[in-house]
Formats: sequence, C-alpha cells, structure tokens
Amino acid sequence: MAYSFEQHKISGAIGADDQFWRALEDGTFQLSRCSSCRNWTWPAHFRCGKCGSWEFEWVTLEPKGNVFTYTRSRYAFDRVLERKDDVPYVTIVAEIPEAGNVRVMGVMKGDEAGLKIGARVKGSIEPPSPKTKNYPSIRWELDL
Amino acid sequence: MSKMRGAAAIVGIGQTPYYKRGTSPEPELKLAIRAITQAADDAGIDVRDIDGFVSYASERSDPAKLMPALGTRECSFASLVWFHGGGLPATLNIASQAIMTGQADIVAVYRSMAEGSNQRLRVIVAQDDTSSQYLVNGLDSPAQILALRAQRLMEYHGVPQSALYATVRASYYHASNNPNAYGRTVTMNDEVYEHARMISEPYRLFDCSRENDAAACILVVSAERAKDLKQKPAYILSAPMGTMEGGGALEENWRPYYATAGQTELAERLWRESGYGPKDVDVAQIYMNMNSMGIGAMVDHGFFAMEEAGAFCTFENLTAPSGKLPINTSGGDLGEGFIHGMGLIPEAVRQIRGASTNQVPGAKLSLVTGGPGDLMSSTALLGAAETL
Repeated sequence: MAYSFEQHKISGAIGADDQFWRALEDGTFQLSRCSSCRNWTWPAHFRCGKCGSWEFEWVTLEPKGNVFTYTRSRYAFDRVLERKDDVPYVTIVAEIPEAGNVRVMGVMKGDEAGLKIGARVKGSIEPPSPKTKNYPSIRWELDL
Repeated sequence: MSKMRGAAAIVGIGQTPYYKRGTSPEPELKLAIRAITQAADDAGIDVRDIDGFVSYASERSDPAKLMPALGTRECSFASLVWFHGGGLPATLNIASQAIMTGQADIVAVYRSMAEGSNQRLRVIVAQDDTSSQYLVNGLDSPAQILALRAQRLMEYHGVPQSALYATVRASYYHASNNPNAYGRTVTMNDEVYEHARMISEPYRLFDCSRENDAAACILVVSAERAKDLKQKPAYILSAPMGTMEGGGALEENWRPYYATAGQTELAERLWRESGYGPKDVDVAQIYMNMNSMGIGAMVDHGFFAMEEAGAFCTFENLTAPSGKLPINTSGGDLGEGFIHGMGLIPEAVRQIRGASTNQVPGAKLSLVTGGPGDLMSSTALLGAAETL
C-alpha cells in the first residue's frame, strides 16, 4: 500500500529523508547513519560529507532525547493553519544521544510543567493526519 | 587586505515610501523602477547608463522587466545572490567584482516588495524551501524558527530580555526622528513592549521586524568614477559572503553556533580584508529579522561576548549620536520598515555622507550585517575616503 506522506509530498528541501517518514508511518523511529564511517547524517543526505560514501543505513532507535530548544507558537501561521485550533502549541527540538546528538523536531505532547532546555523527553509516533499535512509524526513528551 | 578593498563605492541611494504590507498603491515592479531612478538622480547619473543589476533572494523585478522602462542602453551584467536576507551585503561583493573585472560600470543593487493578494511576503520569502521536518511540526515562519534560536540564546546562554528590549527601544527612538520611517509614530516604552502579544515565544510582537511594501536601491561604481560624482562616496571595504562547516541547510542541526547569527567566520574575514576591527566601527546597521538574531550578529562580530550582552545592549549604548555602538539609526528593520533588510544599506551610506536623521558625528566606518541565521549570510563594511 502506498504511504500517505508520499501522496502529499512536501517539496523544496534536501529531500533525502523519505525513509524517516516511511519508518514512522510503519511505527518505528529511524535515523540515518553512513554505512562506511558510521557518522550520523541528519538531516539525511545523498552522500556522506565526512568520508564520501553514498551508502546509508537506517537504524531503528528508541525515541529518547533531551530538549535542545523549543518555542511555543502563539499565532496561527499561514502554512500551518491546520493547527490554528491548537494554538498555543510547543515544538521541541530534541537531541538524540544514541545518534550522536543529532536534533529531531516534534510537537510536544502532555504536561508542559518542567519544560526546559536539557529536560529528558520520550517520543511517541502518531499516524498521518491533516494537522501533520498527512505525514506521520513524532511527538515529544517530558520524561521526568 | 583584499583586492576588493575600496575598489568600488556607493554613490546613489533611492527609496520609495514604506507602505503597510499589502497596501502599496503601486505594484512591485513600479516601486523598483522608482527606487532605481531615484538612486540615479541622487548620484547624478543618467538612469539609461546603468548596465549592471544585482539583487538577492526571491526578487521578482528582474532586469529584463526593468530595462524597457529605464531605457537601459545595454545590460552587461545581472546576478542574484542565493538564499534570503543573508544575501543583502553580499550584493556589494558581487557588484564590486563586476566593476573590478570590467563586466559593468554602474551597478544597481535593489530589492522591491509589494504583497499581492495571494503572495504574502512570508510565503514568498520562504521560496518553497521549508522542509517537511518543520511544516509537519507546526513550524512555518522565520519568526518561529528563529524563536527556537532565541530560546537557546536566552535560556541556555543567559542573554537577558533587557538586551532585546534595548534594541527595540533604540530602533523606535531612531524611527521617531526619521520622517520616512513607517514606525515613526509608535510609542515604545516598557509597558507597550511587555504587553504586546506573543508571536512565538520568546518573541513578542515588537521583537519582530515589520513587513512592508517598498523598494530601495543603491548604485555602485568604481572608486575612480565615484570621485567625480555628486555625492560623497561610501567605499566598499569588504563584503564577505558564505557559511562555515556545520552551517548550511541543516534543519536546526547547526554546530557550533546555533544561537547566534552564524557570522563568526564572515566577521573574521571582514576585519581581515578591511584592516579594521569592531572597536573601529562608528555605526552599525544590524539586520534584525528578529532582534535576538541581531544580538547574535553583534556577538559574532566581536562587539561583545555572549555574557556581556546584557551590560552592552542598553538604550544609551545603542543610540545615536553618542552611544558606544549606535545601531539601526533609520529605525532599521524593526522601526523604519522591512523590505528584506534593503533599507539598511542606504542608511549605512547616509551615515558616511553625514545625512542621517540620527547622525553619528563624523562617522567614517559604517557596518551592515546580513540576515542572521540564514542558511548563508554576509556582512559589509563601508568607509569614507579617509579610511582607504
């Protein structure tokens, strides 16, 4: 069966992260690592800038991290109007220690008390919905 | 020192009025034509003799559309600097190179913006390059993305709110003396600032630039030609562009300069190429898409360290005529108006001419920084003849 995100493709960026979304839609959290020098490559790309390899492996990880930074959106912005009823909502940039501290974004879930830089978070995967532009998503929740 | 140092100069400036976003009585292209013809008049140059055209980011008024109305005799050079507001001072780099290599004699550097009913600035500015990683997670606007950086700058690096407020107060104070500033009548005080609505935390309304409809243009010619023209030349001493390893399109994975402007290496090149340092600068136009990013730019340029931001960024230090580093003396992106930063170069030139409405007496070295935190950025130092 075709993946939802593939039918609602957002274009314009590097565009090497299809497997990230595919894995999320299948219910797993995967990030990309160079098959040759094992450097975590995020955002995903087409060639490893460290060693020149063109091969990457997608490693399944437990979605656990630390808050690197965040913002609470207090306005419904033009291209994310699907979330206008959720305003204010928090988006977290989480560092993933198991993947060389690469940073992965996600909308916060659950209690916001205790939200601060450095706080531990755990991720949960949500299926595609109009709010996430028919992409699957990872949401970060405080893991105090 | 580089070959580019002082090879070219800015000799003309033109600016249309700033209109509230979406209300310009004239379309974008017409605004561009007005700004370019004004700049030619200001320089005492026949507009038909402009043979080079340089802009940046998502500029739509391309030279092919301008030529018939300007009566251009020959277009021999046209170029666009990549990315967004980061490209602003880099236009001076491109213009200088075109002149030095004989590709053009008179280069117009310009930017025009008037929002159509369905092409809002913040959509066009993004140029369809906001990745799914942002949009899926509710992030669209530069205000939100730069809020992530601001949160880190303030919470982790300890830059206080008072530093952000000082840039706002200084900008609106300068705007109040500038009859052309869109924000000249805005009352700014502690209460207005603190009670303004939140946009994306930690940014309040007045921490953000105001998007306007307008156009601005400056003319660049060789240093030799500049001597015989009407206006006092503002020489281009250095205008480096680029980014470091660990920058670029990395979706919040920038290392190691996440919370500032990503301009540390650019600034090092600027000082090296110009032979000057931060202590020599008389006045600075600091690009403030959002003000904390401008504070990051000042850190990157070596005006103060992160931990000194609170002590340095005070209203007194940031205002003309006698502050330690008067910034955004036309009101800047926050108070004068925002057309992707293009208002900053004309003001940097006016300071060298001695013609600003918030003049720094005897200003000889005038800095313009590019869009901070952009995927790639640039910065430029302008100087009076004595600085060559």
